[in-house]
Amino acid sequence: MAHSLSLRLLYLGLMCGKGLVFAQGSELFSQESDAMKEPHFTSCRSTELVTFRCWWSAGTFQNLSEPGALRFFYQTKALSSEWYECPDYTHTVENECYFNKTFTRIWTSYCIQLRSVPQNTTYDEACFTVENIVYPDPPVGLNWTLLNVSRSGLHFDVLVRWTPPPSADVKTGWMSLVYQLQYRVKNTTYWEMQELESGTQQSIYGLHTDKEYEVRVRCKMSAFNNFGEFSNSVFVQVAQIPSKESTFPMALVLSFILIGVVILLIFIVISQQQRLMVIFLPPIPAPKIKGIDPELLKNGKLDQLDSLLSSHDMYKPDFYHEDPWVEFIQLDIDDPTDKNSSDTQHLLGLSHSGSSHNLNLKNDDDSGRASCYDPEIPDPEDLASLLPNHSEQGEHQHPVVSRNSSSNPDLGIQQESEVVDTPIQTQPTVPSWVNMDFYAQVSDFTPAGEVMLSPGQLNTSPEKKKKEEENEKKIQFQLVSDGAYTSETTARQFSSDVPSSPGPEQEYQAFPTQVVEGNLWNGEYLVSVNDSHTPYLLLEPPPAPVLPPMSDYTVAEPPSKSSFLAAYGLPAQPR
Amino acid sequence: MNRVKVLQVCAFLLILAQLLVSGAVPLDCKDDAGSRCASISQEKLLDRVIQHAELIYRVSEECCTLFEDMFVPYPLHVLINQAGNTCHSKHIPIPTSKSEIQQISDSWLLHSVLFLVQSWMEPLLYLQTTLDQYDDAPNALLSKTKWVSDKLLSLEQGVVVLIRKMLDEGIMASSPIFDHTQSPYDGQFPEVLESVIRDYHLLTCFKKDTHKVETFLKLLKCRQSNKLSCLPQ
Repeated sequence: MAHSLSLRLLYLGLMCGKGLVFAQGSELFSQESDAMKEPHFTSCRSTELVTFRCWWSAGTFQNLSEPGALRFFYQTKALSSEWYECPDYTHTVENECYFNKTFTRIWTSYCIQLRSVPQNTTYDEACFTVENIVYPDPPVGLNWTLLNVSRSGLHFDVLVRWTPPPSADVKTGWMSLVYQLQYRVKNTTYWEMQELESGTQQSIYGLHTDKEYEVRVRCKMSAFNNFGEFSNSVFVQVAQIPSKESTFPMALVLSFILIGVVILLIFIVISQQQRLMVIFLPPIPAPKIKGIDPELLKNGKLDQLDSLLSSHDMYKPDFYHEDPWVEFIQLDIDDPTDKNSSDTQHLLGLSHSGSSHNLNLKNDDDSGRASCYDPEIPDPEDLASLLPNHSEQGEHQHPVVSRNSSSNPDLGIQQESEVVDTPIQTQPTVPSWVNMDFYAQVSDFTPAGEVMLSPGQLNTSPEKKKKEEENEKKIQFQLVSDGAYTSETTARQFSSDVPSSPGPEQEYQAFPTQVVEGNLWNGEYLVSVNDSHTPYLLLEPPPAPVLPPMSDYTVAEPPSKSSFLAAYGLPAQPR
Repeated sequence: MNRVKVLQVCAFLLILAQLLVSGAVPLDCKDDAGSRCASISQEKLLDRVIQHAELIYRVSEECCTLFEDMFVPYPLHVLINQAGNTCHSKHIPIPTSKSEIQQISDSWLLHSVLFLVQSWMEPLLYLQTTLDQYDDAPNALLSKTKWVSDKLLSLEQGVVVLIRKMLDEGIMASSPIFDHTQSPYDGQFPEVLESVIRDYHLLTCFKKDTHKVETFLKLLKCRQSNKLSCLPQ
């Protein structure tokens, strides 16, 4: 660019022509330190923008060092182009020229020259404007106040205040000053500087309590570059408060509390393990037959199941509420065919045996639940009257027949025996039909469309006895189990006592093998049981299920009656 | 033909609008309820004006420094000082010593301020254009110059309102007393008409004048707030 070239030429011209170097602002006067130094200006300063002073030095020229040899001239082009001599040579200070307020013009440039009059040589020259040579006086009245101390007692904050220099006319707005605060740790070399502050106070944050600090302030005119001198330093120190000890017990107490809480939680978890297990791992309800253990159904032997099912009172109401059956039985009383009567008697006996079985296995219900005997049905009376040996007992049998076993939630063999005693009293002689199985098999159809039933098979008594004992054991086991809930696992434990049995499928299949038309029972029975919500077999009274009447009599079963007979010492009639 | 007429009308309207906006229309912001301007107290207005002046001064100083660092070699600073009295404002009889300034009236202070501000409108515009011509002018310099030019306008408006409020004088804005015909550099630098010197000189003069404006306004404020202590001793 053409500008730069011409500038360089201009510069060279200046250097050659005048042979002097001038500067503006803070470096208004050169500070070279040559051996041979001619007289020169050392500095010009103003402190309040009203007056200013200039100083010079004779340099190494000894002949000019006497006062008056060098003379000071100035020029302000605002007034005229004349050079005037210094208006006031200060008497007390050597080589100083003082311009008072009448001779000081702000915003006008001054040019000064240092001449030796005899030779009329100008040794030095400089130009400036007064506002550019203002170096304010230092602020006064420095003091500090403590703002706060940190909680640890290691740090503190202070607020430092000062007043503007008295010479600077800040009140009227003639000068606008900005301040700079510096601080350091005592006897170190590095000063921390803070931002420029236009007010007369500033805070210092984060000082250490164990150190002594030195603080000082200086100021300058705003938007100018000439800082004045530093103020006198003020020393700041705050004694350290020994507060460390208080923190130690705090930490200790907190840690103890935490450990205590953890131990408490562990104890709670351990003591309430079962409940927590229920809450966090709720059991999946398995399909259950009300009042019958599903595991037993899966794994138990046929005779066990027979005993269980026979004791299950869900058949009883059906039996009694099924009018067709009752009617059928009634009509066949006088039938000469032994088969039919025996069958019906067997049926009746089945009911009795079943009920007595129930009594054997189940406990009486103290819960107040009414027996399933429905007084509205007149047929049971007739039914009872059919039995040759029980005609006189009539009413007494009804409660037995009506099945006390319907109530079985309570545990306790004592109650069981109590209930058992009653039927035994009412039935002193066990008719032959007591030996009847719970299940009867349909053997034939009469031409009239009626079904001929024949009793199921009987197992050997020892086995029955064993199974009875096992069942009792199971009952006792169940009694121990917790509350209203036993998991599948506990049920499995019980059924594990059962001697190894074929797989559940085989068990289920075992039923059909023994009964011709017994298939219905398995599926339907099991399906209907799924609605049951009772957690365990013997702990709750099962609701009256709705089953087709056929199912009761279509399943062939290991005879349960003989086991009952064996338990109570009753003679078992062979089939 | 219709299109041409439409264009003419539009052009006319544009010119009219421009005249109205920028032209010599007196500010009609009144203090009564029917006015469209929000009323402001005199003190607040003066404070705002002073804030403007302070900012302008600071930015002008920054511009000067930027320009100096970028374009002006070290020894040339002296030359500028020598020509310090050739700022165009020398033609305006403004007192330059503290004692004198403290003795002049409020009215004179305000008028001096207004005059100074108005006298710098055009030179700043000129400065903007000439600074754009430099190849490596820093963006900060250009933006600051533009900013200062805009702020000066609002400062002028504020001072006009102040005059009207404080002195109850109606005055026209943007009517500089400044004489456009006289070039500021007549006979000063016949041999050195480098744009650099000229621009640098302009910037330093501007800086000086804005400092003047700020000082005057602050003095005025002191007088308004606390009559006793601000009077000359």
